[in-house]
Amino acid sequence: MANTSAFRSLLLPAGLVALLYATALILVFQYSVREVIPGSLEPGGFTLDNYASLGHPLYLSVFLRTLGMCAATAVIVLLIGYPLAYYMVRARSRFLRSLILLICIMPLFLGDVPRSYAWILMLGANGAVNGALKWVGLIDRPVQMLFTVGGVVVALVHITLPFMTLLLAVGISHIDQLYEKAARSLGANPLRVFLTVTLPLSVPAILAGFMTVFALNFSAYATPIMVGGGKVNMISNVVYQLGIASFNYPFSATLSLISLVAVLAVVGLVGRASRKIGQRYAE
Amino acid sequence: MRKFVTAVLASMLMSGAALAQEKLVVNGWGGPFQALVMATVAKKFTKETGVPVEIVTGGTIDRLNRARVVKDNPESDVTFTTSHVGWLYVNDGLFEKLDFSKIPNAKNLIPKAKASDYHLGFYGYIYSIAYRTDLVPPGVTFASWQELWKPELKGMIGLADFDASHIIKVATLLDGKPLEDWEAAQPKLMALKPNLKAFYSNSATSIQLMSSGETPVQVLLSSNAYNMMAQGVPLKLAVPKEGAILGLDTIAITKGTKKLELAYKFVNAALDPQVQAEVSKMQKASPVVVGVAVDPDIAKLPGIFSSAEQWDKDALVSNDKVRAEMLGKWNAWFAKNMMN
Repeated sequence: MANTSAFRSLLLPAGLVALLYATALILVFQYSVREVIPGSLEPGGFTLDNYASLGHPLYLSVFLRTLGMCAATAVIVLLIGYPLAYYMVRARSRFLRSLILLICIMPLFLGDVPRSYAWILMLGANGAVNGALKWVGLIDRPVQMLFTVGGVVVALVHITLPFMTLLLAVGISHIDQLYEKAARSLGANPLRVFLTVTLPLSVPAILAGFMTVFALNFSAYATPIMVGGGKVNMISNVVYQLGIASFNYPFSATLSLISLVAVLAVVGLVGRASRKIGQRYAE
Repeated sequence: MRKFVTAVLASMLMSGAALAQEKLVVNGWGGPFQALVMATVAKKFTKETGVPVEIVTGGTIDRLNRARVVKDNPESDVTFTTSHVGWLYVNDGLFEKLDFSKIPNAKNLIPKAKASDYHLGFYGYIYSIAYRTDLVPPGVTFASWQELWKPELKGMIGLADFDASHIIKVATLLDGKPLEDWEAAQPKLMALKPNLKAFYSNSATSIQLMSSGETPVQVLLSSNAYNMMAQGVPLKLAVPKEGAILGLDTIAITKGTKKLELAYKFVNAALDPQVQAEVSKMQKASPVVVGVAVDPDIAKLPGIFSSAEQWDKDALVSNDKVRAEMLGKWNAWFAKNMMN
């Protein structure tokens, strides 16, 4: 009774927010089917040319590059974030748990821009990484790390690692440790307990973290433009270059809508996988 | 007691109304620009008229978009913007056509500083080649724009990602073609691609890439070069024999302002020779009127035009109307072919 009442009382504000969001999307959509008039910001009449332009090889390659970089970043962030999340939750020492938590959330106190500048200093020809590699004798000339896909991925991993780690920590903290104790009591070693009990039960959290990091990186703008130096462009950068900076708002609306559809498709697929896994474990 | 409270409330309302009527609202950039205008033009204007000035700030395109939204009830009386973006304002009917009889100081305006009958130059600057003297090959001095294409500069050059008009202007100039015939200069532009290392999206990134040595050669904004030189970066700003690309920040009167006469006084104050001398010194920029006593330390900086003759000889001027109309196409071509 109370839940129904609470649901109904939140329906109106939720509906208003949804209506505002839908209105904004409709406005963007109507821009995407309007013609650009050179020298004016006022769009012209109806046209599908903006969507036809998407066939240019550049846009396909940028989309694929963006998808690939987002997926790669999400996988790397998962591999680094899972151990951090696990020990943030399961370490016996309260001090250690707090320390890991602090290390994870500290980067969030700085925005994307200062952190991206820091990576420019780290990865540059005269930066800290090249300096260290030279000092230990591994290289005699600087290695190009800035303005490369690898450099941008490294920076994106750093920026989105806290999100994955915190989501995983929440998921792992909800796993009843009795299951793990039961497995150990039946003779499973720690690795087997992890692989057969902990990891499967944390799959929903893994998928949630993957979706979140993927979506965050898909809309990344500052990091690729700074660490990528205009040479490694993700879809948001192209929206800016070919839309905003070129005063072509109709085309930028088109690119933005297609990007939204792509992210929704990925989120939908991952959500579907998550539901199937959840059903399987419920059985 | 009631009478006292009523009197206080009435005086508050009246003073609020009075302030709202008397204030001149100027639309411009924030930060150093805001400080510049308040210390120079606004100071003179308020001294002459007794009317205070308020500056509303924002990015160039953001302010244009806002101006379009509030077109029928403008929020500002005077607008500062760049010369080519000013044409977007003009095309959208956002500027008043100027009555030059109300701007006496405009008679001293350098011809190249008049952007249109709707917007006038406030100060000039250049986009030209800056280079790290400690990092470029010996003998490279950029006496000509053609030197950007030298093979020994492979992977050394940084360009802006938000305005392809500068390098397109240079390519057409070197090919002996008019700007409108830019497509014929595309092979020339593509030949530059191997020398390009990175693209900067704003002044901060430009400065970072240059000062760290990642892009020891850049086509950049003169004020950024001056700031780096003042910070001790071993940098030179070249003015090639063909000239440097002129940039112009402009002033205009917002169409529909209810304070038209005051707006004209403000524009006139901006073109006052004394104000122009102060602007030139503070901004390290070229004054736009003749008869200005430019600070000697500023005058000797490369790219500062102290006389009309220098404007004619050293300033490469693009047709801003063409630039506003073509920038979208140029930037799109540049992004597709040079950056990706």
